[in-house]
Amino acid sequence: MTITNQILFNPTQLVLELDEATVDRAWQTSQVTTGNSTSRWQRYLNQLALDTILPWLQAEEDETAKAGLNEAVRADIWEVVNGTIINLNDAKIVLIPTEAEDLSELRVPQEWIDIPEWKADYYLAVQVSIDAGFVRVWGYATHQQLKNNGNFSHSDRTYSLSDDELIADINVLWVARELCPDEVTQAAVEPINDLDPDRADSLIERLGSQSQLLPRLAVPFTTWATLIKNPQWCGRLTAKRRGEATKTPVLQWFKRGIANMATEFGWRQIEMTADTLGARGINIPELTSNLVPTVGFAKQIAIANQPYELRVFPLGESGSWRFELGCLTPGCVILPGVRLRLLTEDLQSFEGNEEVATEPVPLLFIEVDLEEGESLVWQAEPTPDNYQQEVLQF
Amino acid sequence: MLPRQDTVKIFSTFIQFDYDRFSSWATDSRLRRSMKQCLAKIPRESSENFWALYWHQIWEQQPKSLAREHLVAYLQEICFWSSTKTINGFTSTQYTVSDCFQVAIAGIDKVLKGFDRERGFNLKSYASITFGNLIRELLRQKREIDICSDWSLLRKLSQKRMTEALAGAGLDPEVVASYILGWNCLKTIYVPERASSTRKLPKPEPETWVAITNLYNQERQTSLDQPGKTATTEDLEKWMLSCVKAARAHLFPNVTSINQPKPGYESGEIVDSLVGEVDDSLLTDMIADEEAQQRSQQQSEIGQFLTATIQQLKPEEQKLLELYYSLGLKQAEIAQELNTQQYTVSRKLARSRKALLKALAKWTTETMHISLTSDILDNISSLLEEWLAGYYDSQK
Repeated sequence: MTITNQILFNPTQLVLELDEATVDRAWQTSQVTTGNSTSRWQRYLNQLALDTILPWLQAEEDETAKAGLNEAVRADIWEVVNGTIINLNDAKIVLIPTEAEDLSELRVPQEWIDIPEWKADYYLAVQVSIDAGFVRVWGYATHQQLKNNGNFSHSDRTYSLSDDELIADINVLWVARELCPDEVTQAAVEPINDLDPDRADSLIERLGSQSQLLPRLAVPFTTWATLIKNPQWCGRLTAKRRGEATKTPVLQWFKRGIANMATEFGWRQIEMTADTLGARGINIPELTSNLVPTVGFAKQIAIANQPYELRVFPLGESGSWRFELGCLTPGCVILPGVRLRLLTEDLQSFEGNEEVATEPVPLLFIEVDLEEGESLVWQAEPTPDNYQQEVLQF
Repeated sequence: MLPRQDTVKIFSTFIQFDYDRFSSWATDSRLRRSMKQCLAKIPRESSENFWALYWHQIWEQQPKSLAREHLVAYLQEICFWSSTKTINGFTSTQYTVSDCFQVAIAGIDKVLKGFDRERGFNLKSYASITFGNLIRELLRQKREIDICSDWSLLRKLSQKRMTEALAGAGLDPEVVASYILGWNCLKTIYVPERASSTRKLPKPEPETWVAITNLYNQERQTSLDQPGKTATTEDLEKWMLSCVKAARAHLFPNVTSINQPKPGYESGEIVDSLVGEVDDSLLTDMIADEEAQQRSQQQSEIGQFLTATIQQLKPEEQKLLELYYSLGLKQAEIAQELNTQQYTVSRKLARSRKALLKALAKWTTETMHISLTSDILDNISSLLEEWLAGYYDSQK
């Protein structure tokens, strides 16, 4: 990579070197997604901006800075919207990367301004110059400036401010946060209603099609916003666009909380307490209070006309999970011959992957250690009524 | 170049170039008339700085008035010197002083908007640093864009710049809107396929053109006020080549387009109503006002404060500021001088500037009893930039 830039940058700008390792890493990551080429490139640019600016932020300005949302949700968003959110202790920053050389404007997708859950305090204009090997923050604006003074373009749904309307000195941001911390940075925006799950399904069906190149512009903004602000639906949308089979995102439920979709898959959230665990005879060695899972997920199934419940919950935070097949009605038992089995995503068995009742028992259980991102398929014998194979992602 | 002395000339004449060299001063008769009328209103002689501040104030109230033109005239020498100085800092460049001059003077609104009349020192020193930055940035852009293939170039422009370039090429707004949509469709479909090959994108393959055209025809229904006819791949290809041409031409605006009157002036709607209208009350206020006195008092206090603050910085930080602001060294040269890396220089310079900005902001609130906002800090940052340029310049 040649650094053609022999010219001294304006000292009000923040210029960071884009080293080859960062470029290679971001490129590899962006190729993992199988969406269309635009999405891959968008993800690549955003990843480069994040990977250069975040370490600088943490080292120089605010050690509380961290990438907003988790990696999976970030990737989902990059599939359809440009921009990367960074959380500080008490403020949010959105990076808007572009390849434009001319530094004439900051153009922010409407999602980052008008979705209350997404809006931030500061929006940074970031030039990513890959071949010249640098990333440059050349100006910024607050949410309030963009919302109140920005030029809204209907054709691409963006708010933009021209270069002379931006604050050119990035240092002003840090000094302002220190010397005038009470300054208002956000303007009010309309709340966005929640979407009816049936409507969400049909939207995902329609916008998930690969032929729909610009899904964010294909339906009215408020409709799009109701869909995209929900991480589960956003995830399902992008999974469909990438042609991935829909997985049941168990780990994501734990991290983000369960949403309506969970009930759609037939799962519901259950409260776990030390008492209920103990009462059901679970014996976890050296069970300490912080290892007690507070939340689990359960699904009702019927085997040979008997109602049972399949339960999944984590054991501590080490990646161990417990699957239980239990009774639903008091006093009932699992009949001999009933079998609970777990398989890998490609339906291979593994050691200790099944339990069978040899006598009437109250509970069958299997405990497994899983890496983050690993998936499992569950089966039971006799096959439950209306059984549909599902891939549970951890 | 022969600097101008006469106040009327200072506010009403423009540099004419003979190829790359200064040739003469050309007078704009409207501006001369306007300036003479103003001078007649004032009983005593006043400095050019007085008039610069007067026009700046008028410009702020009426950005489209003749005031802007007066200020463009006023800043001619500064712009010329900034161009000469900046271009001499480049070892090999095919760009002329006249090219740089045009680029810089086209950025005058940035100078006028950024200048803080209340606290600033003077418009000329602020203009000098702003012009310098503009020219350096443009030379950098120009260099990058010159090595880009046509198809790469299309990814390297902002929508604002592309729109301006197409409008500058004389296209109707409706046509511009279709081209911009087509251009956005191209950017959506045609992206680089390798990690770092953004400069040498080849011409899109025929099937890519088909995809771009399909997307255009789909989007035009909702995105364009006038959806127009169904476009063919030939249309799209032709439009994109026009975009490339307009973009390259727009990078260095040509001489005639700048000194030409803005629309409206010719017809007399704007100009003639304004020529001859001197803002008497503003003039009287400015003359009577002791503010000027106060301002210079304030300025010397700021100067003393910053001088003292700089002396408290570490010697290496002081050295860096001096190398940058005084000698105008390039990043690579400073890096060499200090035996460090380019990006380290940029980072360290930013850090020193931040320390100064914070100190000056605090001092300003304490001594002038202003409550800070981001906008005021933005002004203070410009003020600091201006002061640093002046300070190190006077130390040479």
